[in-house]
Amino acid sequence: MTFFAPLAHGAAYLDPGSGSLLLQMLIALFLGAGFTISVYWKKIKRFFKKGAGETADTIEIPEDTAETDEKNNDQP
Amino acid sequence: MTNPEERVAASFRDPAGFLFRHEGQLYRQVNRAGEADFHLLMDSGLYAALTKAGLLIPHREVEIPPAVPELAALIIQPETVEFISYPYEWSFSQLQDAALVTLAIQRRALDRGLSLKDASAYNIQFHCGRPRLIDTLSFERYNEGQPWTAYRQFCQHFLAPLALMAKRDIRLNQLLRIYIDGVPLDLASKLLPGSTRFNLALLTHIHAHAGVQKRYADRGGEVKASTTGAAFTRNALFGLIDSLEAAVKALRWKPAGTEWADYYDANNYTRAAFDAKSELVSAFLAQAAPHTVWDLGSNTGVFSRLAAARGAQTIAFDIDPAAVDQNYRQGRSAKETLLLPLVMDLTNPSPALGWNHQERLSLAGRGPANLVMALALVHHLAIANNVPLPQLAEFFAGLSEWLIIEFVPKGDSQVDRLLSSRADIFPDYTPEGFEKAFASCFTITAKEDIPDSHRILYLLKRR
Repeated sequence: MTFFAPLAHGAAYLDPGSGSLLLQMLIALFLGAGFTISVYWKKIKRFFKKGAGETADTIEIPEDTAETDEKNNDQP
Repeated sequence: MTNPEERVAASFRDPAGFLFRHEGQLYRQVNRAGEADFHLLMDSGLYAALTKAGLLIPHREVEIPPAVPELAALIIQPETVEFISYPYEWSFSQLQDAALVTLAIQRRALDRGLSLKDASAYNIQFHCGRPRLIDTLSFERYNEGQPWTAYRQFCQHFLAPLALMAKRDIRLNQLLRIYIDGVPLDLASKLLPGSTRFNLALLTHIHAHAGVQKRYADRGGEVKASTTGAAFTRNALFGLIDSLEAAVKALRWKPAGTEWADYYDANNYTRAAFDAKSELVSAFLAQAAPHTVWDLGSNTGVFSRLAAARGAQTIAFDIDPAAVDQNYRQGRSAKETLLLPLVMDLTNPSPALGWNHQERLSLAGRGPANLVMALALVHHLAIANNVPLPQLAEFFAGLSEWLIIEFVPKGDSQVDRLLSSRADIFPDYTPEGFEKAFASCFTITAKEDIPDSHRILYLLKRR
């Protein structure tokens, strides 16, 4: 499967740019690994509850509480 | 059937649907081309999750005649956004929050088997104090293995301007006014300081991104061949969102040293004069009872809040990005819903922009307001920018029915400062000259001297 096949699907009206697609593919492994590590890292941090005092000076976005239920239903 | 003229001019790019007006109300036609993705949004639980979290504008399905029946699947009516603002009018924190909202939406979408097919800053609007996605048709089914189509657009609309504002100069957000689809990454890469190449996120998403774009601009076929068999996993996509989010959050801008940031400490008001002015403004607002107020030259929004406190939808415009940022942060922490601070240079207000001059409206095109406040502003326009008083009157008359305006005469330290380095070519700049010039457009409803100052506050009504 090429990554262009799914892109051709549906009504993708935006040109993603070949360079932008290539860059994403080039850093995909790194991003995937980073995400996996961050999931475990968050779990470790939560375990030790050392997240206190970490206040980002940006908008507060509520937790996605429905996440787990919906996620299980929607896996393609 | 609705006239084609009623289609909203900015809504033409996406074949999934478009906005149109019908009997004064705004609707969105969902075309058959966008029907499946729309139903997926609704049925996956994503719509409910996003509207509940205040990330997406809610809508309701309605039964009205479609604007283009041959394409139509259904019609929805989105909740009304009182005032449409544009990224080149936002302060740093506003653009940063809009970026984070976009990424939060994408993360929730991926969790439910959808993906944002665009990441345009123009699809985010401040509504009831928070940035929200207004384009219900921005979602498409997510297919495993598919990279993020909107990655480039996100970098151009959000990351590049934020990085330029934080790392080079806050005024570079004005590049968004020139480039309708966000700051080109090669330009951002050139303008950013060399030190940003040591920042892994900026190195990847801006510098390397610009380099790869340039190298493969016309070589889509080669890209396809070299990546055949590769797949962009869901985890990689989540990793991309995390990486962009961390990059956006890591950018900081502090408004230190800007000319107006500490204006309220440095102006020539005594406490008594300030309190008296506040009372007069409140009394004038009560008299005019406006629903919508534009506070021009609002600084950090002290007087704008008097209007918002009365329940008026209030837009607080100021030229200084520091004052606007401070104003926005204050409203954000207090969870204010009626006040929207925006950056605006009144000597060169936002023009009509984009395709056929109709995609982005001019400032005046988004009016009129019921009432305009122009406090401690007139000398900046009449003296610093040489605008003759009769033209100033016409400008205000074009924006609203009511005007609360403060005349700051010669002899006031702020005016004397403006005149200290230039010849006084303003013989008519007197209270009498002001009243005469404004009499052609306005009648004086109330006029009060501000105690403990030389200034005069007027409540004027358009003729």
